[in-house]
Amino acid sequence: MNGEIGEVIGSSNTEFIAQAHLLYESPAFGAFVRVDGRDETVYGVVFAAYTHSLEPNRLAVAYHRSELELRAEQPQIFELLKTKFEAVIVGYKGKDVVRAQLPTKPPRIHAFVYPLQALEVKRVTADLGFLRLLLAGARAPGRAPADELIAAALRQALEAHGGDRGFLVRAGKELARLLKDDYETLSSVLRRVRS
Amino acid sequence: MSERRRIGVIVRGSLTEGLEMRLDEGESVEDVRAGKFVVIEGEKSAFFCMITDVRLDATNPAILVDPPAAQDDEADALMRQVLSGTSTYGTVMLKPMLMLPGKDDTRAGSEGSGRAADRGVSGEAARPSGGLGGALPSTTQIVKTVPRHFSIVAEATEADVNLVFGSEEQDRRYYHIGRPLDMETPVCLDLDRFVERSNGIFGRTGTGKTFLTRLILSGLVKSGKASALVFDMHSEYGWGARREGDHAEAKGLRQLFGASRVAVFSLDPESSRRRGVSPDVEVKIPYDRIDVEDILPLADELNLNPTAADSLYLVQAQYGSEWLERLLGMGAEEVRDLARDLGAHAESFAAVHRKLSRLKRLDFLVPRAPDDAVDRIMEALDRRQHVVLEFGTRTDLLVYMLVANILTREIRERYVRKTETYLATKRPQDRPHPLVITIEEAHKFLNPQAARQTIFGTIARELRKYFVSLLVVDQRPSGIDDEILSQLGTRVTALLSDEKDIAAVLTGVSNAQWLRSVLASLDTRQQALLMGHAVPMPVVIRTRDYDAAFYRAMGAEDEEPSRGSRGARAIDDLFGSR
Repeated sequence: MNGEIGEVIGSSNTEFIAQAHLLYESPAFGAFVRVDGRDETVYGVVFAAYTHSLEPNRLAVAYHRSELELRAEQPQIFELLKTKFEAVIVGYKGKDVVRAQLPTKPPRIHAFVYPLQALEVKRVTADLGFLRLLLAGARAPGRAPADELIAAALRQALEAHGGDRGFLVRAGKELARLLKDDYETLSSVLRRVRS
Repeated sequence: MSERRRIGVIVRGSLTEGLEMRLDEGESVEDVRAGKFVVIEGEKSAFFCMITDVRLDATNPAILVDPPAAQDDEADALMRQVLSGTSTYGTVMLKPMLMLPGKDDTRAGSEGSGRAADRGVSGEAARPSGGLGGALPSTTQIVKTVPRHFSIVAEATEADVNLVFGSEEQDRRYYHIGRPLDMETPVCLDLDRFVERSNGIFGRTGTGKTFLTRLILSGLVKSGKASALVFDMHSEYGWGARREGDHAEAKGLRQLFGASRVAVFSLDPESSRRRGVSPDVEVKIPYDRIDVEDILPLADELNLNPTAADSLYLVQAQYGSEWLERLLGMGAEEVRDLARDLGAHAESFAAVHRKLSRLKRLDFLVPRAPDDAVDRIMEALDRRQHVVLEFGTRTDLLVYMLVANILTREIRERYVRKTETYLATKRPQDRPHPLVITIEEAHKFLNPQAARQTIFGTIARELRKYFVSLLVVDQRPSGIDDEILSQLGTRVTALLSDEKDIAAVLTGVSNAQWLRSVLASLDTRQQALLMGHAVPMPVVIRTRDYDAAFYRAMGAEDEEPSRGSRGARAIDDLFGSR
C-alpha cells in the first residue's frame, strides 16, 4: 500500500463512491481526497461515509457482545462488513494545472483514493471556485446539512493556508456571492469555521 | 489623467435622475462625501460628476433583520468583513455635470478630425460667450447622455478640476477663489464672465459674506477686468477690518492695492480719522443733486404716505432742481401757502415737509458743494481706479439708501451717455470700462416695491447693456424681487438656513433639489456654494484664506503700517509678548 485509503467502486462526473481499505477507516467528513487517473487527477471532498453488511438489503445482526469479545469469538463476521465513502468532485489537475472545474471524465473504477497533504489542499483551494462545486454537491437532496460540509472543508482549507484570515475573508466573500439568497447558511458556515 | 484612483462602477442611472455607482469592495463609504468630484471614464468621453448622495444597500433583506452587530464577537466581526462589499455595499448617487474629452480624444483633437470639430462647435454652444483663450470652452460640454454600464468611476484629479474650472496660470481671466472640500486644487471664477452680469453674494449673518465680497473685489481689482464702486456701509472694504473670531486685522483693498488703484471716499471723515486713516475725498452732496426719485424709495424709512410722491413732484415742477433746498428752507407758514398754491391738502403736505426735515440733519447734504462727489467718483473711475465709499458712523439705512441711490443714478446716467458715444463712434478707446457697483443690505433696494423705483432695479434688469452691473450683498435674499434674482449671473452663497432664503437663492436654477440640501449643510465658516455664469457647474468651496499668502498673491506692497507691525512682532519675539 502506498498510502491509499480506498478504491473507487462507482463514479460520475460530479462525484464518486469508494470503499475504504479498512473497516471503519473512512476519511473524515469534509476531508480532501484525490483519485489519480491516467491523464487527470481528480480532487474531491468527502461528504458521506457509512458501514454496512456486504449483502445489500440486509442489516447486521445484534450479538450482545463487546467488539473485543466478538473479534475473539467470531472474527469472520467482520469480513462481512465494509465501509464506503462518497466524495463530491471539486476540481482536477491536468498537465500540472489545478482547476476548480469538473474533470473531463469521471474517475475510473478501482482507481485508488489518497488523502491530500496540506500543501496539496492549499493548491486546490487557492482557486475559490471550488466552493461553487462543493456547494452544488452539498445542496443535492438527501445530503448532510450544507453548512456542516462547507464549514468542515473550509476549516481544512484554512489550516492548509496557515490560518490566514485574509483567505478566510476571501472565501467568505465568495460564499456570500454564491449564497446571496441564503444568509442563514452563510452565517452558520462562518460561525462553524471559527469555532 | 490616467492615474485616477478607481472607487467604483456605474450600475444604473438616467440622464435626468443621475447615476448610481456601486462602491468597490474595500472602499469605505465614509470616504465618499457629498460634494466630492469624481470622473466616470466612459467609452468615448469622461463625465465629470459630483457626489450627491450615499446609500447603504444589502442584496438580501434577511441580513438586515439579523445583523452581525456584536462588537466584541469575533464571528460577527468576520461576518461584517465578509459581507462588506458583497452582500452589503455602498451605493453612491452621482450627478453628471460636464462631459470631458475621453482618453483617446486628445489625439483626435490634434488631428482636427470631423468628430473633434463637432465637439468644438457644440462646446461653444454650451458656453455661448466663452473666449478662445482657455481650453475649457472647446473641451467641455453639457451632459447629453450617460456612460455605459460598468464604466469605471474614479476620483477626480487636479488636472480634471483644472480642466473644468480653469487655473490662474492658464489665463488671467481665472481667479482662484477657493478649493473643493476635499482637494487642494484651486477652483477659479471666470472673471470675464463674472463681470458680464449682475451677481449676488448671499449668506446668513456671520457666515463670511464680507469676507467673500472682499475676496471677489480683490480679484476684480487685481485683474482690472472692471472698476469697482463699493458702497461700504460698515467701512470694511477700504481699510482693514477686524476679522471675526481671531481679532486679527484683515487688510482692506486700499492696503492691498495702494492709493494709485483704490480711492477711498468718505461720508464721515471724522470716523475715518478716528480709525487712523484719512480718506482721499470727503463726500458732500448738494441738494440739487437730489431727485424726487431718490426720495421715494426711502418712503419706508421716512414713513411717507403713498400720496407724498404727487406732492413732491408738484414741488419739483414748481422749483426745478432747487426744489429740495427751497422746501427744506421753508417755515410752517410758507409751507401752508405753497400747499394752497399747488392745490395740495395742507395737512398732509405739512406732514411731508416735516418728515423730509430729517434730511436737514444729514451734514453731508449741503446747499452748494464746492466739489461734486459724482464728478470726483467719475474722475477716479476714468483713471481706472476703484472707489470705496465709507459711511463711517452713518450706518443707518436711510443715509445708505439715499446716497447709494443718488450716486448710482448719476453715475449710470453718465455711463449711458458714454455708451451712446461709443455706439456712435465704435472706437475702442471710447468703450466704457465695465463698472461693478457693490451694495449691501440689497433687499432694501431690490424688494419687489423698491426694485421698480430704484435705479438698482433698472441696472439689475438691463444686464450690462451700459457696462454697469451690480454685486448684491445680502443676508435675506427672499426679500429681493424674483425677477431680479433670476437675472443674477453668478451667485456665491454661504450658509443659509431659512427655507425661504434658500428657495430665493435657487430661483431660476433648474433641478435645484440637490443644491438645496448642499446649501443647508454648509459650514458656517469659509464655505460657500458657487453657481451660475462664471463657473461651469455649481461647486462647494472652502474659500481661500485671507492671509499673508493671499496678500502676496495680490501683489500687495508692504506699506508703512505693516512694516511697523513687523517691527512690533520682532520686539515681541525678543521680549515675549505682553
